[in-house]
Amino acid sequence: MPTLTIDNQEIKVPAGTRVIEAAKLLGIEIPHYCYHPALSIAGSCRMCLVEIEKFPKLAIACHTVATDGMIVHTNSDKAEHARTSMLEFLLANHPLDCPVCDQAGECKLQQYYMTVGRHNSALLDNKIKKTKARVLGPHVILDSERCILCSRCVRFTAEISKSHELGIFNRGDHSELLNYPGKALDNPYSGNVVDICPVGALTDRDFRFKVRVWYLDSKPSICHGCARGCNIRVDYLRRRFHHNDGKRIARFKPRHNPDVNGHWICDAGRYSYKQLENEDRLLTPQVDGTPGGWDSVLAGAAKAFAGHVSEFGVNSIALITSASLSNEEMFTAQELFGNGLKMEKIAWRIPPGPENKDDDLLIRADKNANSFAAEKIFTSTSRAKDVEEVLAKTEAGKIKAWIVLDADLGPAFGDERIAKAAESLRFSWYLGSYRNATSQACRFVLPSTVFTEKEGTVTNFAGRVQHFPAVVSPLGGALPLLEIFAKLAGRLELPTVETNPARVYQSLGQSFEHFAQPIYAAPTAKAAPTSKVS
Amino acid sequence: MATQNTIRVSVRRRAATLSFWEQVYLFEVIRGLWITTHHFVLNLYYHILKLFGIRKTHPLTPTIQYPEECRPLALRLRTLHRLARRDDGRPRCVACMMCETVCPALCIQIVAAAVDDPNIEKRPKSFDIDIGKCVFCGFCVEACPEDAIRMDTGILDIASYSRGGMVLDIDRLLSLNAATERTDKEVDQLQKWLLQ
Amino acid sequence: MSPVMYWTTTVAKSVYILVFPLTLAFVLAWAERKQSAVMQDRIGANRASVFGRPWLGFVHMVCDAMKMFTKEDFVPETEHRFLHHIAPGIAMFFALLAFAVIPFGNQLTIAGETIGLQVADLNVGILFVFALTSLGVYGLVLGGWSSNNNYALLGAIRASAQMISYEICIGITVIGAIIAFGTLSLQEIVLAQGTHLLAGWLPRWGILLQPLGFLLFFVAGIAETKRVPFDMPEGESEIIGFNLEYSSMKFGLFLFTDFVETVLIAAVTVTFFFGGWQVPWLYETGFAFPWGSTWAIHPNIAALLQMGAFVGKVVFFCWLMMAIRWTLPRFRYDQVMDLGWKWLLPLSLANVVVTALITLW
Ligand code: SF4
Ligand code: SF4
Ligand code: SF4
Ligand code: SF4
Ligand code: FES
Repeated sequence: MPTLTIDNQEIKVPAGTRVIEAAKLLGIEIPHYCYHPALSIAGSCRMCLVEIEKFPKLAIACHTVATDGMIVHTNSDKAEHARTSMLEFLLANHPLDCPVCDQAGECKLQQYYMTVGRHNSALLDNKIKKTKARVLGPHVILDSERCILCSRCVRFTAEISKSHELGIFNRGDHSELLNYPGKALDNPYSGNVVDICPVGALTDRDFRFKVRVWYLDSKPSICHGCARGCNIRVDYLRRRFHHNDGKRIARFKPRHNPDVNGHWICDAGRYSYKQLENEDRLLTPQVDGTPGGWDSVLAGAAKAFAGHVSEFGVNSIALITSASLSNEEMFTAQELFGNGLKMEKIAWRIPPGPENKDDDLLIRADKNANSFAAEKIFTSTSRAKDVEEVLAKTEAGKIKAWIVLDADLGPAFGDERIAKAAESLRFSWYLGSYRNATSQACRFVLPSTVFTEKEGTVTNFAGRVQHFPAVVSPLGGALPLLEIFAKLAGRLELPTVETNPARVYQSLGQSFEHFAQPIYAAPTAKAAPTSKVS
Repeated sequence: MATQNTIRVSVRRRAATLSFWEQVYLFEVIRGLWITTHHFVLNLYYHILKLFGIRKTHPLTPTIQYPEECRPLALRLRTLHRLARRDDGRPRCVACMMCETVCPALCIQIVAAAVDDPNIEKRPKSFDIDIGKCVFCGFCVEACPEDAIRMDTGILDIASYSRGGMVLDIDRLLSLNAATERTDKEVDQLQKWLLQ
Repeated sequence: MSPVMYWTTTVAKSVYILVFPLTLAFVLAWAERKQSAVMQDRIGANRASVFGRPWLGFVHMVCDAMKMFTKEDFVPETEHRFLHHIAPGIAMFFALLAFAVIPFGNQLTIAGETIGLQVADLNVGILFVFALTSLGVYGLVLGGWSSNNNYALLGAIRASAQMISYEICIGITVIGAIIAFGTLSLQEIVLAQGTHLLAGWLPRWGILLQPLGFLLFFVAGIAETKRVPFDMPEGESEIIGFNLEYSSMKFGLFLFTDFVETVLIAAVTVTFFFGGWQVPWLYETGFAFPWGSTWAIHPNIAALLQMGAFVGKVVFFCWLMMAIRWTLPRFRYDQVMDLGWKWLLPLSLANVVVTALITLW
């Protein structure tokens, strides 16, 4: 455990710690470009030069290992002068692109120019022209002129995605970051290079020119793309809706969590924001395809339900639920339908298709966000956990009604099979967010919100419970599922249903040991958005 | 302390400057009437001369008959906005949103689009300025890194029968040019446009 | 005089005395704009035009009148809609009625009949005038009160307070004039001003007999018209006045009453202090100048000349009041009261006493 002094502050760090990390522990940020905590050290940008006593020259903080008795000055005249000069070199061939550069506003060049640069360039030579607007892959576009050759992206493709698409070619000021000939940057994690590129050289094709980053607000959230539950930051517009094609949510960015996803998220999760406000969203309650008001549709749904129960009993109804609902929603559904109405057939298991596989970085085969909790919470029944079984029973005429909670059965079982099975149903409810084959097969459609429009917790495949807040208000006439449950309970004359997720979680914790740890207690502690590049 | 002093001084001065005859007021009234009557008679004389066509102008009345006559505008006066073009006719604006961001009245709305030319990359697909909200601060002009938005059209009489009519779209903005480089024909066209 | 003749002449005189102040008031409404503009180096109303000419801004007046008549007549929620409706009428009515006793000429002889150029030759004409002007304030007070608005009520109260203060002064000033002329009949007062002083060189007008009286009367008279510098009841910049809840032509009527009152005060001033319809050295049979030469003219021509002189004098005083209105800043309420009670009243009392003493002596 060496002890060193950085800017007159002493700190004890584990052996092998780099000076830049030791400084970070002290809250001192040493300007850097090529250093990234999740990648190997390159030491190519020289931005992190600091003065270390008894060293003959300035040393780069990202590579120098802290040793006992080291005395580091990050702000001495020499260090400052070195940084300013380094920035001047980095900008020697940099184009004046900020007006059209998507990185502007979150660009480390801009940031360091304002904090440690502010030089007048002494370089008079013409700038070198390089490739501009080159499409690297499905998600990433490259502007070589803006690249500062820090090689973070190269190291990412070499060390993290291990797909080796990128490299730095040529020499001197003709060095250029490019993809290997014939190799597109199309690995399932390609979007991450945009995040780690400290400048605007690699930008997101999907986000390109949609909205300026300073118009965006951020909230922390949890990706619902698969059972990993990666921590994300949702960037959204709160006003100026003429940007971003009129949509509110502009992008998902990874949020650092060493226990779940590190610094990364996969592309599928990253671009899953698009469906949140697409035209497939259900926005008004419907009966047999005709839109109606909440009151009339709920009345009709309750009446159909009551009529059916008095005729065929509760056990002819199946609850088919998505395994992506939040813990609170699952618990409430279990309380309402399982314990309240004594329904036994509660199904959520749909085996993942063969194309879905776990990989060794983040991606999980299970595309449901909350299967872990479903297994724990839906306890009241011993039978019919598999949707396949419910389908078969429906086809056999044993199940005469469905209550579907946001589940899309089409991809797994085929749209025709669902439509055909639904024809024989006496009545059916669909409580969900999107129009799909299942929602179209159901008679009563009650639109619910997506995860960015409601608060809740989800449990990832490893059993980790994570909180996500409501980022934006519900779209159209959609309501959070908990509120729909409460309305239904009122119509069916059942005990009132709690709609505050925090309190639902409390009851959940009382019923199940696994959910006993407080999650809502300190929501702000988790809410601090982390910056894009660490 | 300082304010008290000022007040006292000013009060004292006022009282001191009114003489007895001034306080009687009657003579001051007559003096005032003398001034206004003097102007009245003089003006009447010139008005009559002008009425009968003997004089063309009225030397004492500085009134400018506005829509027909205008006083020359200062070159730096901030007038209606326009969007400048490049030499090849394409808009200079690259939809960087600096003006939209800086605008204190939130009256600029730009939607960006990509262009194929990698040397331009970005252009405004739509560019609306709601003149009805604009406070003519000129911040947008200051902020523009491309010198694309300018307020040098010399147009000040902006009016419309509807709120929507006060929103200038990109075509209008691009169609205007600087007051200094306008030909007579363009001035006529502009007049028509303003009157329509 | 035959009854037919009597009625014809009476109606004709009534029409004349109605048309005269109304026309003049209309001209004053125009002068209000144009004269103020000329005094202030402006051009004044010159946009509305007929046949491509603005006609010195008269077209504006016509447009204004049309606007007044066609605008919505908004009546506030009030328990006394009736009073609200008739209040402007009351104000206007009494102002116009007062003209009935103002002599606007000596007499015409038509078909052997002698026609006095005055609608009603009351022997208490002067009291009649002041009775009516005092009643006129009822229009304001009722208007302000029935508007059901505190500010309007305040304006109305100010109007009555101001009226009372200055009415007294006017009354007492006029006593001086009455002592000097020895009669209450307006026609006789005018006739008394037909003689000359200083061996016939100077007309024996009231202003020479009552210089202070004229000053006091004129000031109080301006206060009676409720116009700047005495526009307390309207008080545009502080309480917006008794006519606050009036719109359309009812508002216009209040506005117009001010002008009619201006004409009235001008007419009464002329009658008392500037010889009424008298023209210096013009007698019934023609001019007789102090240097001995004479110029005989037909008596009816002389009468018409005198009518013209009366109009001319009234117009001049209207102009003067307008000039004052556009020259002086308005007084504060306390200054108005100060002036009325502490200066004008004592001075007018002194005037009466001095006049009486001189007359006795
Ligand atoms: S990379 Fe940064 S400095 Fe360079 S053009 Fe983009 S925003 Fe500007
Ligand atoms: S593209 Fe970005 S991340 Fe890659 S080397 Fe250039 S600056 Fe670094
Ligand atoms: S002049 Fe000011 S208010 Fe008007 S558009 Fe420009 S920035 Fe906005
Ligand atoms: S600041 Fe200039 S270049 Fe940028 S969007 Fe506005 S007008 Fe266009
Ligand atoms: S961060 Fe140390 S050299 Fe780039």
